[in-house]
Amino acid sequence: MAGSKLNGRVNGSTILEVVISMIVIVVVFGIAMMIVTNVTRLSLSGKKLRAEALLQSAADSAVISKTITLEDFRIEQEVKPCQQNSALLDVHLTAYDQNQQKVAELEKIISQP
Amino acid sequence: MLKASALYIVIIIALVIAVICSSLIVSAYFYRAQYQKKFRYDRLENNLSSGVNILLAGSDTSYAAEKTFSLFNGDADSVSLHRISWGIYDVGAVRAFIQKDTLYRTISFANPVDSAKWAAVYLVDEDRPFSLSGMTTIRGNAYIPKAGVQQAYVDNKAYQGDKRLVIGHKYVSQKQLPALDNTRLRQLEQFRDQKVTNDSTLLKADSVTWSFLKPTRFVNFKKKAEVLQNIKLGGNIVVMSDTTLTIESTAVLKDILVFAPTIVVKEGFHGSAQLFAADSIRIENNCTFGYPSCAGIVRSGTQVVKSQARITIGANTTFGGILFTYEKTDNAVKPLISVGKSAAVSGQVYSQGILELKDSTRVSGSVFTSRFLYRNTFTLYENYLINTTIDSKALSPYYLTSSLLPVAQKKKKILQWLEAN
Repeated sequence: MAGSKLNGRVNGSTILEVVISMIVIVVVFGIAMMIVTNVTRLSLSGKKLRAEALLQSAADSAVISKTITLEDFRIEQEVKPCQQNSALLDVHLTAYDQNQQKVAELEKIISQP
Repeated sequence: MLKASALYIVIIIALVIAVICSSLIVSAYFYRAQYQKKFRYDRLENNLSSGVNILLAGSDTSYAAEKTFSLFNGDADSVSLHRISWGIYDVGAVRAFIQKDTLYRTISFANPVDSAKWAAVYLVDEDRPFSLSGMTTIRGNAYIPKAGVQQAYVDNKAYQGDKRLVIGHKYVSQKQLPALDNTRLRQLEQFRDQKVTNDSTLLKADSVTWSFLKPTRFVNFKKKAEVLQNIKLGGNIVVMSDTTLTIESTAVLKDILVFAPTIVVKEGFHGSAQLFAADSIRIENNCTFGYPSCAGIVRSGTQVVKSQARITIGANTTFGGILFTYEKTDNAVKPLISVGKSAAVSGQVYSQGILELKDSTRVSGSVFTSRFLYRNTFTLYENYLINTTIDSKALSPYYLTSSLLPVAQKKKKILQWLEAN
């Protein structure tokens, strides 16, 4: 009530407690942010999985060496005769993202269509 | 009284954040572990599929001894290939491994048919016509004697089939049947004549399925006339005998090989196997041989044999696969394949001698023979087909033949996936 006297005491934190609490909370948040960033950075991206799936589907139809673009990926397709049997093809596919970073790679021996 | 406890509250908040962070780390760890597992699995699958392709493209003798090598000269691309000549087909065992992880597949493979050589009927030209009577159908190309094909009146029945007689192209046949493949015949003979140790423990179990990744197990009855009954045998097993071998309907055979001079399959048998005999094979009524099966007479000796080589298929029996006879030396009595009443063959019949097709038989596939035979109570008709259907179009488009037969293409395709992990 305005103008009335305080009857009891309110236990407030000391300035030292508050400062320590603030430091602790900042440190804890800092560590947490570091963990989240690291986990997000190091975990696999959907991009990589998508690139691998694209390479799998492209591998069986590869006939000649060429570069193709599929869903934001540049795929370099290298086709050469297989060492073990010249009737087969050794297909080496590499997928690069828009920053020209290698995302996925696949090598497979297929029969000539 | 209110208590200001900033430190306590901060500790609780820190704890909550720690729990969230640790669960994030754990889930990321498991996600990554699972992904790495899948990545290794995909890589092994790729290597395995590459290995299968190499095996399919290889020659018959390649990889006869197991060979391990690196596919792309890398550090995680080792495969091990092994090819086994399994009767008239081939079996391949492929293993791909990266450190302790191994994937394996065993497959059987065979040849697609060469459509240029494929025919519903190939009847050797013995300077006499080919006659059809009753409800007979021939669908597909036919190689027939120069004298041609004609309608005939037999058993008081006229020809009732299609007016074209042969629903397909007609070509003139040669004086000889297209020959069987010598390499495959030699492989069969070598397999039959090899010295094997009898695995006496095998028949003590009531069910044995043996992997093609392991060495073949042989059961050799030698000169004891035995009966295979109440047993299930499958996979990499060969049963041999130097005398008559009887297979009861209680025996279940799958993919195994049987070698004996005489083989008798009792009524009601179900299974799929490759049977090779030197004298005769008798398959009784109501049996079912699933594809890919084979029944073949192989007489590779040069001495003249007086007894007739004979394959008899009982009434109402269905046979999926290949029936063939082979004699190296021309004997006075020609080998005979006799297909019983209402029996059905899905696949190929290659009779170096005579082929007897009884009433209401059906061949979905192809028939190569030197002579057709039909007999009723009183009369024996040569080069007559009566109430028979030979339909090459009724055969599955995925049907694969053996390199033994003259209509096979050179390339190989997968016939069966036998084992996998």
